[in-house]
Amino acid sequence: MTFERDARTALADGQLRGALRQATTLFGERRRAALATVPDWEGARDRARAIKDETLEHLDRYLEEFAANAERAGACVHWARDAAAACDIIGGIAERRGARTVVKSKSMASEEIHLNAALARRGIEAVETDLGEYIVQLAGETPSHIVVPAIHKTKAQIAALFADKLGIAPSDDVATLAAAARDALRRRFAEADLGISGVNFAVAETGTILILENEGNARMTTSLPHTHVALMGIEKVIPRFADLDVFLQLLPRSGTGQVLTAYQSLITGTKRRAEDEGPEELHIVLLDNGRSRMLASRVTRQALACIRCGACLNACPVYRQIGGHAYGSVYPGPIGAVLSPQLFGLARSAALPYASSLCGACRDVCPVKIDIPALLLHLRAQVVAEGVAVGKGHLRERLAFWIYATVMVRPRLFAWLMRAVRSLRIMPPLGAWTKWRDLRPLAPRSFREQWRAGLGDQRGPDA
Amino acid sequence: MRSGDARREILHAIRTNLESSPPVQSSPSPERRGGQGVRTPEGRGGQEVRIKHFTEQLAAVGAQCTTVRSETEAAAALARILADAGARRVVGSDAPLVQRILAAVGNDIVIDRLERLSRDELFACDAGVTTAQWGIADTGTLVLESARERSRLLSLVPPIHVAVLSVRCICESLGDALARLSVASHAITFITGPSRTSDIELTLVVGVHGPQTVHVLLMEGP
Repeated sequence: MTFERDARTALADGQLRGALRQATTLFGERRRAALATVPDWEGARDRARAIKDETLEHLDRYLEEFAANAERAGACVHWARDAAAACDIIGGIAERRGARTVVKSKSMASEEIHLNAALARRGIEAVETDLGEYIVQLAGETPSHIVVPAIHKTKAQIAALFADKLGIAPSDDVATLAAAARDALRRRFAEADLGISGVNFAVAETGTILILENEGNARMTTSLPHTHVALMGIEKVIPRFADLDVFLQLLPRSGTGQVLTAYQSLITGTKRRAEDEGPEELHIVLLDNGRSRMLASRVTRQALACIRCGACLNACPVYRQIGGHAYGSVYPGPIGAVLSPQLFGLARSAALPYASSLCGACRDVCPVKIDIPALLLHLRAQVVAEGVAVGKGHLRERLAFWIYATVMVRPRLFAWLMRAVRSLRIMPPLGAWTKWRDLRPLAPRSFREQWRAGLGDQRGPDA
Repeated sequence: MRSGDARREILHAIRTNLESSPPVQSSPSPERRGGQGVRTPEGRGGQEVRIKHFTEQLAAVGAQCTTVRSETEAAAALARILADAGARRVVGSDAPLVQRILAAVGNDIVIDRLERLSRDELFACDAGVTTAQWGIADTGTLVLESARERSRLLSLVPPIHVAVLSVRCICESLGDALARLSVASHAITFITGPSRTSDIELTLVVGVHGPQTVHVLLMEGP
């Protein structure tokens, strides 16, 4: 099992766990403080979910409306059935525009389709410009947190990396490191022919795309190059411009605990006059890649309401210990555990629905009230129903539940077994549970025996 | 056409999958959606309250603010800001107000027009001066509309951004601002404080790709 192996590796990494604890705790605290500034947080969550539900119920209509309005404003809208198609479309645009270097701002969808590798095969270099993503790219790694991609790296590691790759003098001053990245990336911005961004929200009513960020790299990416390509999952669309209000209240507060991120760019088509600033061409790529399939059931459809804030990661007791890499997917944490099996196939991610204690913390913090535990159970049922092999553990589990079911419907067999277990003083090994914890010793007499011996006749003081 | 095929296929997949699950009853009617209550442009308090709230929020997000009562005062304040920062090369947007204020700033600073600059020259600038079309009191946010002014790069690339905002254009909330915006602007930018990152060990660094300093010249008067 890759998940179990990678999770074990992560658990043995004290530095990683320290960094994760610090980050997830801090984001949790900031989030709580930020949502206290919204008078009706629960109401905002309900409204946002209702908007998402309504959109998904009529996704075909809203997508068509969005595409028509974006095109009317001068954008070129592309439809991509899967990852390969999206990579082809974007690679084709880059080649047609003669782009050798493309600058990228953060886009989970581009990670999902492995866009950088696809561009590299065409001889096009994609440069990540978000500081965290840039660090991860220089190190040849993958992001481990949706909001803080390089959370797993210390500043000493980053200093060594920058000294090696950027040729700067080693420094453990964070501002110096950030300035070095800024200078290196400014040169890339100056020469880039194409900018690729993600999309946080797409407004059907106006054809507008909205991008949130803190650093300014997404603004650079979407305003400096001659061509801007925006890649978005088809679930990013919302009906009306005014709907942005509630989502802008929810997303920054849930993600980073900010009332608002430093920048929101609302882009509607291309520049209207030649002397205006901004790209000449805007291409919007609508990506399905398994999303339309998720509409088929009410339970699975919920996951399409996700606005990628990362709050469920910070709240999850499993993620907080193992971090993002162990999930083996671009979407880690609780939401990743429900998205990955649905987007990339159950067989590839069958262990992920089990990477949860079902404590419900993810559901409690989710700004759009996705019932992630219900989704996890739904997917677990699917793993069993489809007989997806997830290791020997599941055979044992099936056997254990068969024994349990057999015994529990036969009271006499149950009583006999309990007597046998107590008199022999044996407990079956309960896997990870007894490996790390001692079970309490068994009572000398069972509750049933005590009851029969007269416990039921004793009356409480109220009687 | 392949692209047309993909569009048809995706829309078909969406419709087929939607049909296989029963429709929800809880979908809200358009009237109930939003549900935020009506906000008057005047908002909860008067203009004074709004201005106070706005300047407090600007401070909270790390932006600076100077209140000025005339273009002459604005020019003097701008000269001080630029001198304090040691800014030598300053670029103004095409807004007439910005041009008038810059013209009144002393001539020991190189003042350029955006349209004359190459990308490299723009990158070498110390400060950009623009107006802001709206302010949002609740969040300390500036709103810049591309149809009104060429401010997109000047508010982003130089390390100092100075924005002139009339007190009459301060909205109460994000929702109020959204209601006043028009997508006649192909680019609308919301700016809340300076550029920032916490990507290295969660340590806050101000001024990564965008400006390190955001200074609002808040214009009172007519």
